[in-house]
Amino acid sequence: MQEFLYVDLLQTTGLTGLAVALNPHHTLGVLYGKILRALQKMPAEAAYRKYTEQIVKERAEVVKTTRDVTELEHKIGCGQAEELILQAENELILARKMLSWKPWETLVTKPVPEQWTWPPTK
Amino acid sequence: MASCILKRLRRGIDIATRFKGYGGSVSTQFLRLTHGEAAAAAETRPTVRKFDTIQRSQLTDFGKYVAECLPKYVQKVQLTAGDELEILIAPEGVIPVLQFLKDHHNTQFANLVDIAGMDVPARQYRFEVIYNLLSLRFNSRIRVKTYTDELTPLDSSCEVFKAANWYEREIWDMYGVFFANHPDLRRILTDYGFEGHPFRRDFPLSGYVEVRYDDERKRVVVEPVELAQEFRRFELSAPWEQFPNFRGGPPVAEEVPVDSKEKK
Repeated sequence: MQEFLYVDLLQTTGLTGLAVALNPHHTLGVLYGKILRALQKMPAEAAYRKYTEQIVKERAEVVKTTRDVTELEHKIGCGQAEELILQAENELILARKMLSWKPWETLVTKPVPEQWTWPPTK
Repeated sequence: MASCILKRLRRGIDIATRFKGYGGSVSTQFLRLTHGEAAAAAETRPTVRKFDTIQRSQLTDFGKYVAECLPKYVQKVQLTAGDELEILIAPEGVIPVLQFLKDHHNTQFANLVDIAGMDVPARQYRFEVIYNLLSLRFNSRIRVKTYTDELTPLDSSCEVFKAANWYEREIWDMYGVFFANHPDLRRILTDYGFEGHPFRRDFPLSGYVEVRYDDERKRVVVEPVELAQEFRRFELSAPWEQFPNFRGGPPVAEEVPVDSKEKK
């Protein structure tokens, strides 16, 4: 009975719908590489690129240097390895969309003068 | 293979302990953003709410971070009610801003709590649409506001948040704000065949039609409202000031200064 419980435990992340990743190091490495490549296409002074590169490089470095999954999760401090994979996937999709949105450009529409005043002017 | 299974086994045992240890390490991502100046003088009046200055400075920094990352869309960043962060954006940026807040490593606002509407007829763009987001990862909330008028459609945020579907239908039903690319934009709260948008400020309090059971025809009939007295002309202005205590009070929102160099 005890053994059965153990087997059950190691097969789950404890989060609904999130399966245990078999090789998180490999998956994370690939995803971080892809994000960095997508970021390369943005202008170097874009704040989004700057900050994202910083985060991703930091995490990629931890993934490279740490073999143990638990220690890796502890060092990054942003959830389990499976959640880290999810976050990286999201960031990758976002980075690719950002390439078409170009949010580093200047403000697209200036607000009309009294738009954001509260209480509203008569 | 055997060592791999052994590693898995150890991870499995750790899971229980890791769940407890979340609170500590999670907030480091926010702390990594450099701290700005501390808030103004501490509140001493006993009946006035005291704000957490650390939280306030973190929110201020985070607002600056968002504005710096998305200078194309963010018009203004402000703190309302002391500790609620609001990002005021151009209507073109609904999808980029929400997608950024949802998917970026440092934000992760994965939950859409609510979408609200507001009508201020005096303004050129009379409707405000307000998105309330929640980040479970960082235990924080943010509000995104944008504006539109009766004719200009806003982009539907359904492709970012599945939850937006019904909220946007609600806004459409109550205010008549049109959402472009919404998969299923129809009335949601009002009755079948209802006309008009009841939350608009120019919608009469008594409505346009009344519904009653007609005994002769043995069915429910819908008729234009007939009032014995002209109740529709409500005289709401009073000779005295409603909230004199709020005159000269602190401003409702404090603007977070965004570095204009970033905007160029």
